[in-house]
Amino acid sequence: MAALGARGSAVLPTRLRALWALPVRRALAKDAGEGKATQPKPAFTDEAVQTLLYKMTGLDLHKVFRPVKKGLKPPHYKLMTEAQLEEATRKAIEEAKTKLIMPPVLNEREPIDDVLAEDKVLEGTETAKYVFTDLSYSIPHRERFIVVREPNGVLRKATWEERDRMIQIFFPKEGRKVIPPTLFKDENLGTVFQQERHEDVLNMCIAQFEPDSPDYIRVHHRTYEDIEKHAKYDLLRSTRHFGGMVWYLVSRKKTDGLLIDMINRDLLEDATSLITLYHMLHPECQSAKEAKEGKLQGLDLIKVFVKTESQREGYIQLALQAYEEAMATSSAS
Amino acid sequence: ISAGSRLLRGRGGHVVIRFALGGCTNRPFFRIVAANSRRARDGKYLEQLGCLDPLPNAHGEKVAGLNLDRLRYWLGCGAQLSRPAEKLLGLAGVLPLHPMTVTGAE
Repeated sequence: MAALGARGSAVLPTRLRALWALPVRRALAKDAGEGKATQPKPAFTDEAVQTLLYKMTGLDLHKVFRPVKKGLKPPHYKLMTEAQLEEATRKAIEEAKTKLIMPPVLNEREPIDDVLAEDKVLEGTETAKYVFTDLSYSIPHRERFIVVREPNGVLRKATWEERDRMIQIFFPKEGRKVIPPTLFKDENLGTVFQQERHEDVLNMCIAQFEPDSPDYIRVHHRTYEDIEKHAKYDLLRSTRHFGGMVWYLVSRKKTDGLLIDMINRDLLEDATSLITLYHMLHPECQSAKEAKEGKLQGLDLIKVFVKTESQREGYIQLALQAYEEAMATSSAS
Repeated sequence: ISAGSRLLRGRGGHVVIRFALGGCTNRPFFRIVAANSRRARDGKYLEQLGCLDPLPNAHGEKVAGLNLDRLRYWLGCGAQLSRPAEKLLGLAGVLPLHPMTVTGAE
């Protein structure tokens, strides 16, 4: 896992940039620049942060390559030697790494509010507004001109929702609908969460909305809140959404449930990386200072963190004790 | 030799950018098209430069698309515009407002 992490940090930035280049070119360049400069707060895209999040995501091959509903075909068996099997597993791990690239986490976009012209002469001539889209093929979608001529004669730039709709009409993308499905409304999300299909909802959300649209952010936050309320962290564990969820929880300091879950599943490394990430994001908290002074590692780090920062101290202490007992019995026997 | 070329070999037409009507009964749909002026309205054209849906959609908008890149090319080649095309481009803000729109408004 450590070896994978080391290799991953070299490969991730270019892949991230290539993958996120199209929709988030401008925003990403700005964030990357700020991260490299002396900005105190680390961004989601920093390499150190990404490595930590990637390690925590885990790599359960059985879950990543879970059978997707496709056409029925009889299973295909191959006869391989040991060496070939290792080779095949290695290739599978490479593919799984591409599937686990995290979708971007951006701030909400500013609403567009720009009037280009006002022609009071046209008032009363038209009944409906005209939406003009520039259909030139070689312009990125973010820079397209989409203007609206209102019935009162005002020529203004289109709002983000109108822009997304028009771009989907003229340049349709697979998996996206022109009018967002009613699934993404708050009342319907509850039903989906009861069926434990958080991952499907997040995949649909990524296909439908742009990463900086308020709907995308709202659906993601709702999903993360629900998971945190019911402690269903394992649903997202080996998927590409795990990093985003951890980032959300750590920025809002709601890491206790996740910590308990990790200790219960004996994932001590993940717990330590979670706490390291917490310290990177909130360097002014007490446990961060103590950890830096004492250069603590592993269990000691967790204990210091639990004493100073967590709300559910009792639960975490219990979980730690159970873990230590289990370690003692296994090493004894 | 098809009928079209017989039309065109005589005196010489010019390129116009105009609307070609399509769609069904009680459901018009215009394609903004660069064509030779002697062609039929809905006949063979040089290039499609966009479209216009004259009926408002569920959000109360009349959707229009304009390929500005190619439009600039054809205008540079010396294409002329039909009056409704001029009015539409005036509404879009590409050209200044057509005087007929103003007179019609008043």
